Amino acid sequence: MQGLGRLSQEQIVFGLALLLCAGFAVMLPGFLTTNNLLNLVRSVSILGILGVAMGLVVIGRGIDLSLVALMAISVAWTLQLVANGMSLPQAVALGLAFSLAVGMINGILIAYVEIPAIFATLAMGIAIYGFGRYFLFTLDVIYMPESAQALQWIGQGSLLGIPAPILAFIAVCAAATLFLRWTTYGRYLRAVGDNLPAARITGIPARPIIVLQYMISSLIGFAAGLVTAGSIASMNTRVANSTMVYDIILVVVLGGIGLSGGRGNVRNVVVGTLLIGVLLNGMTIMNIEYTLQNVIKGVILLTAIVIDTILNPRDEQTAQQGDI
Amino acid sequence: MTVLLELRNGTKTYRGVPAVKDVTFTLEEGEVHALLGENGAGKSTLTKMLAGVVQPSAGEILLDGKTVDLPTPSDALRRGIAMVYQETSLVPSLTVAQNIYLTDDKHFHRLRGIYIAGQQFLQSLNFHVDPTALVSSLGAGQKQMVEIARAVHHNARVIIFDEPTATLTPEEKHQFFSLVERLRKRGVSIIFISHALEEALQISDRLTVMRDGEHVITDRTANFDREKIVRAMVGRTLSDELYGAHAERKVRRAGEKVLSVQNLSMNNIVRNTSFSIFAGQITGMFGLIGSGRTEAAKVIAGVMKRDFFHGGQVRLFGRPVRYRVPRPAVRDGIIYVTEDRKLEGFFETMSIAENIHLGALAGGQTKSWTVSIREMKAIAQHWSEALSVRALDNDTRVIELSGGNQQKVVVAKALVQKPRLVIFDEPTRGVDVGAIAEIHQLINRLADDGVAVLVISSYLPEILQISDRILVCRQGRIVEEFEGRKADEHTIMYAAVH
Repeated sequence: MQGLGRLSQEQIVFGLALLLCAGFAVMLPGFLTTNNLLNLVRSVSILGILGVAMGLVVIGRGIDLSLVALMAISVAWTLQLVANGMSLPQAVALGLAFSLAVGMINGILIAYVEIPAIFATLAMGIAIYGFGRYFLFTLDVIYMPESAQALQWIGQGSLLGIPAPILAFIAVCAAATLFLRWTTYGRYLRAVGDNLPAARITGIPARPIIVLQYMISSLIGFAAGLVTAGSIASMNTRVANSTMVYDIILVVVLGGIGLSGGRGNVRNVVVGTLLIGVLLNGMTIMNIEYTLQNVIKGVILLTAIVIDTILNPRDEQTAQQGDI
Repeated sequence: MTVLLELRNGTKTYRGVPAVKDVTFTLEEGEVHALLGENGAGKSTLTKMLAGVVQPSAGEILLDGKTVDLPTPSDALRRGIAMVYQETSLVPSLTVAQNIYLTDDKHFHRLRGIYIAGQQFLQSLNFHVDPTALVSSLGAGQKQMVEIARAVHHNARVIIFDEPTATLTPEEKHQFFSLVERLRKRGVSIIFISHALEEALQISDRLTVMRDGEHVITDRTANFDREKIVRAMVGRTLSDELYGAHAERKVRRAGEKVLSVQNLSMNNIVRNTSFSIFAGQITGMFGLIGSGRTEAAKVIAGVMKRDFFHGGQVRLFGRPVRYRVPRPAVRDGIIYVTEDRKLEGFFETMSIAENIHLGALAGGQTKSWTVSIREMKAIAQHWSEALSVRALDNDTRVIELSGGNQQKVVVAKALVQKPRLVIFDEPTRGVDVGAIAEIHQLINRLADDGVAVLVISSYLPEILQISDRILVCRQGRIVEEFEGRKADEHTIMYAAVH
């Protein structure tokens, strides 16, 4: 137990992913090909990008349940604007501004009005979806108009044989890592997530940092939306009502970013994403039913958390404070 | 009088540190026994042993002359020993009657039955509380009545009160005393922890004083007066060794007036208080817990907000300031070092270097928006050496350090911000003896360098040893000021207790 005790959840999950990889490689003939592996990462890269957005918020001891709804509505609106004859850059700028504004409202509600993040963003997600469907466009699937074909590259293009969504995932990860480690605001974000009263007393602008964290998550969410729209040449706004947001939280928690704040890195999101990717890919090749796949995902999450709790028991303090 | 309850040679140590040392305490049948002493004298620990809340490390508890084992509070209650806490242990969302009969129901809950029984029971005690009222809607005095009713309902023969009058209004206090009188007539024995000497003298039959975890004196109340109690409370043995004779040191002269506070008020905790703090000297602020000293400091540093109307005035170097958040206060050079470092002091997931560096970032010592690891290491190196933080290296997480070293990191995080006024709130709480001396040296050095220093403490020897000037806080107000060495423990304690 002594040696095992040093393993973090991140390492456990990474080990689990490798183990699954090895298993699939032996059992499934088509698994260990360059093509399939690229496909595997590509299929989860949007989930990964959203995971980075959620991860940053969770490190700041928040949660953003409006992430998927906001992504769907702001990008769908962008496509609608292009279809209505606006130029692509202009439409993207408007969509981005809309996304950032909603993120800012989220942050203000949480930091200044002091509503718990889980309620503020849940309500915001519902409101944004309704607002978009009622005021901005009428159909629930917005197809990419001819004049927005330039967007298709980030969904379907590739560079040096690597699909663009994977490149986008890598870029977002790199930017988030730089932000967390090398900028003052990244440090502040972690400090606020670790201990809000201490951050306040130290003189960190705690409330602006909380607003910033939701704006960043909206920004990354918008980027993920563009990749989505590019790869399927449309934006299906019904994704806002799907379980996607839970999948994102799954990736974040699975990778080992504690919901109690302050802990974790972009690395954790990558590891969580890889495990889910391997799992989904393998199960799809094995032709396992979608509903059964959900059962397996849930069991894997519970297993990872149980192992983590046994290996790294929480002290009295965290047990008292709870995780959210 | 026969002895009802006795703790014989009781000792309680927390992680090797004794809170109560070899104390023998007896409670006679039908008496009101007052238990007095400074903060940390061991009063609460003593009574918690009797109520089964904590287990004695050594010694035994005797009830009716027979040794008893009290592993939990409910075991104590079953034997008739009940404790009424300062912060009430009632369930706020239930009604009065539900609270009184909370543990009686086996499986089902009969509301009508307990309301009728509750009405009769409360009347028999002459308590004017509606059994159907929600506990959350009651005032402090009424809540206490419900707690007492619950204790009596469980046939308590011994009721222990921990600072029962601290939260009561004068009128409620009066009611409380007549209630104690009624309980005594019913044959209930009472232990009464208090800071209020007059009350203890007024209602108790016997009186025990504790100091530094040891028993000092027990005698009939009639043989005491205020002077004698105060002398028993502060007469020192152990602490003299640590703090030495304080009279030797020279007193620093007051420099420029850094902060002046006029008629500061906040929520009835800080009440219309006025004082000043000067550069190049250490101002000690003494007050018992609940005297509003921490709150006054937090208002000055922007951690709490003063009252919007009639909140008074705070001037920094003659300029009126009102901080809504700590950040502008920090930027103006007012730094508050918290009394609770775990809750609001350090960042537990981070290393020593990251903690100290965050102080520098937030204090505006580094202007760039990017982080330089080399700079972080240099700052951390400099400060952990200056404060002799003992750790493997500066990448060690703060949570893994000892209390004293954690405190040094919190202090370093504050000092890196180049303060002009530092407020230390209980700077040596939970800190080992060696680190206490080091932290005191550091505070002295700060004052020698011309910084204005305010040290808040509820430990008299610390205040006397370190202060050039002493303010005494009582009930949200500075009630007395002593210059230099003119104060002694008795006069300060006399001013601080009501």
